[in-house]
Amino acid sequence: MSDGIWLLLGLLLLAYLGSNLVGGRAIRGFGLPSGSEYLVLGFALGPHVLDVVGRSLAHTFEPVVLVGTGWLALVMGVGYVRVADRWINPGRAAVGVLLAAVCCVAVTAAVYFLAPMVAGFHGFQRLAIALGVGACASATTRHSVRWVVERHGARGPLADFAADAARASALVPPLALTVLFALSPGGALPSVPVIGRVGITLGFGAMMGLLAAQLLGRDFRRDESWGVMLGTGLLTLGAADRAGLSLIGATFAMGLALASSRHRLDIKAMLTPTEKPVLLPVVLLAGAYVSLKLPTAVFVLVGLAVVAKVLTRVWLGTLLALGPARGTGADFGVSMLASGGFTIAVALAFSTRFPGVASDAVLLFAVVSTVLGEWLAPAALRRSLGRAGELHMVAEGDGGRLSDAPDSLVSRESHG
Amino acid sequence: MSGAGSSQKGLGTRAIQAFALVVSFALLFALTHLAPQLDSRLATMTAIGFLVLAGTLLSELMEPLKLPHLSGYLLAGILGGPYALHLVDHQTVEQLAPVNTLALALIALAGGVELRVTTLRSVAKSLSVASLLQSTVVLVAMTGVFLVLAPYISFAKNLPWKALFGVALLWGALSVTRSPSACMGILSQTRAKGPLATFSLGFIMLSNVIVIVMLAAAIMLARPLITPNATISMSDFNVLGHEILGSISIGTTLGLLLAVYLRLVGGQLLLVLLGLGFGLTAALKYVQVDPLLTFLTAGFVVQNLSNQGSKLLQAVDQMGSVVFVLFFATAGAELDLPLLRQGWAIALALCLIRGVVTWMTARLSSRLAGDPMVVRQWGWTGLVPQAGLALGLGIVVEGAFPGIGTPFRSLVIAAASINEIIGPILFKLALDRTGETDTGEPVARPSLAPRAPVH
Repeated sequence: MSDGIWLLLGLLLLAYLGSNLVGGRAIRGFGLPSGSEYLVLGFALGPHVLDVVGRSLAHTFEPVVLVGTGWLALVMGVGYVRVADRWINPGRAAVGVLLAAVCCVAVTAAVYFLAPMVAGFHGFQRLAIALGVGACASATTRHSVRWVVERHGARGPLADFAADAARASALVPPLALTVLFALSPGGALPSVPVIGRVGITLGFGAMMGLLAAQLLGRDFRRDESWGVMLGTGLLTLGAADRAGLSLIGATFAMGLALASSRHRLDIKAMLTPTEKPVLLPVVLLAGAYVSLKLPTAVFVLVGLAVVAKVLTRVWLGTLLALGPARGTGADFGVSMLASGGFTIAVALAFSTRFPGVASDAVLLFAVVSTVLGEWLAPAALRRSLGRAGELHMVAEGDGGRLSDAPDSLVSRESHG
Repeated sequence: MSGAGSSQKGLGTRAIQAFALVVSFALLFALTHLAPQLDSRLATMTAIGFLVLAGTLLSELMEPLKLPHLSGYLLAGILGGPYALHLVDHQTVEQLAPVNTLALALIALAGGVELRVTTLRSVAKSLSVASLLQSTVVLVAMTGVFLVLAPYISFAKNLPWKALFGVALLWGALSVTRSPSACMGILSQTRAKGPLATFSLGFIMLSNVIVIVMLAAAIMLARPLITPNATISMSDFNVLGHEILGSISIGTTLGLLLAVYLRLVGGQLLLVLLGLGFGLTAALKYVQVDPLLTFLTAGFVVQNLSNQGSKLLQAVDQMGSVVFVLFFATAGAELDLPLLRQGWAIALALCLIRGVVTWMTARLSSRLAGDPMVVRQWGWTGLVPQAGLALGLGIVVEGAFPGIGTPFRSLVIAAASINEIIGPILFKLALDRTGETDTGEPVARPSLAPRAPVH
């Protein structure tokens, strides 16, 4: 049997493990909110340690990575406007997007400023690495918030704010990548201005999403719907890739458009269970893709980018302590450092489009951010929620509060 | 695949489906023809998306014509494939081969699960008589027909009579092959229940094993006739014996393990099936065991030695809703239209005669077995389709007889293509006519989504 089959089976095994974590309740007992353990596992299996997944083998699975990252964006888009059984609060969502955007701009600016001096990046490579790192710095993973909220049975305005802001922050990375891909030279639409390419990416995704929503018809039949979902999803990904547009941007827009369907809950119930099975293999492959054979200057640049992200988040946390996160000090800002699978997916999408040192640097930044966030963020959020008086002891065996999915959905997702 | 009763769709729905179909074709046409210079890392994935979407939509649009869904899938593949609009190229079609592996594993599993001992016992006489007659009469008759038509077949007309007889014997053996995939596809779509559905399924699954044995015998006998200095060797049967016994042993073990898993865990069946379809098939091929027979046995064991059959069937159906579309659409894309155009007359003649022989034999066997009227009248229709098995065995013949292999295989492809297109239509027509098609509304429910405005 070929190495490819073995790797495929390994990825399927991971997907199987991921599926068992999807129910929501299982996540409270074990596993890390960011999925860092799979990142480390991928790194250990990769060319730097055990070399089980060599570079060429990992690259054989590039289409799987591309589809995986796009699919994750689609799932994020579909679930973007709803948290559990309620709509996302527009005010809190706006703040969440703003926080993510500020962090993206600040880190992008810092890297753009430092890149030529520290690591000698110039021209488009300088812009690419800056915006790539900025995109990876912007989102706060909703899984971290969910993990803490469920584990500690948190209820209250701060818990809701954290959940809404984290979910809303997912808008920024796809947008940043869409702009970056539109800025990059080459592609199918050289005569179209950058803003036009951004519009085409998002418009094309939205059009395919609306088409899929219309095709799902009056009655929702899950079996038939898979043909429509998979068909439109893969066609969108393929067309965007061929035209040099951002896959993540297109499928995220497609997800948002799909969320306008009257079947949005059914679609969400159908797609959400696919998130973990797709995420874990993608994260594992990302671990295998990580390269440490980089010039020292690049490590320094990545380190400085991480510092810029931490400082920005702490500063934002201090500002929030005056408003929705009153009395939490900088802790709430630190809690927003959490990043996870989606950030890794964004970095992978970047690295498959812009291979080279810049991509290695962006992936390394995403990995370091994820591991750092894993260490700091959940504890900081727990402290913040404790200070806000929103933590409640959860008895053994009690499911606690599910921040991300209503019981009806969870039971369907768990068995779907 | 949707149920049979899903045809009650309005003009608006059909218009949207037609629009989406045009969009999918236009999109891929624009990408492949207007900007061919652009590389795509996702050519295979794009092709999968296109074939699944176009196949699903075409099958829906063909519903009012009472055509089977798999005709829609085939048509999508034919239109988009390398011989028509060239939206999906040869290389991509070849890269979709793993999908066939997965689909065949699912089809065999589902086929095995559908075979209940109690049902088989009730049609045992019918199956035995039909298997015996269909195998021998079709073999003999089609061997004779090939000999008669040989002057019109370019590669056969100049063969010495011994070699010609050998080739005709191979043709006769290949004519006995049926299509489990087409049968399962139609039964899955129509959700048919009744004597005709039971007979067709039981017969076709059983004929799988018979055909493999028969072809091995035919190759063994044909070799000294076609290849000078070759002698009859029993080694083919030795290998075949190992293959069949090994498949049944591994299939039984797999079935028991699956039953235990379904009983104790039961979750994530789709991933388990994916692992089995890709991983186990590769392992089985490595140890030279027949995957189709192994999965068929496994499904049979789960159904008859445990009470987990319905759970397994449901999971296979759920996955099959996409995999079968892709399987048949890929088969359509693989359909060699130029080859078909070249040899269509002789292939059509051979297909027609095969159909007539099958029909007459079915009438005879039904009378002898005392089958119900529906099986007497329509039992032959499920036996007409040919697909992957015939093509696969054509490759075996090509490998065994390099001298005549390639033109022989071309004729197999042409004939199987015709049977692949016409056969399913006949079978569905029969199920509709006999009232075995489930005409109730398919499992559907209104959306749970509230009608509240988005905040």
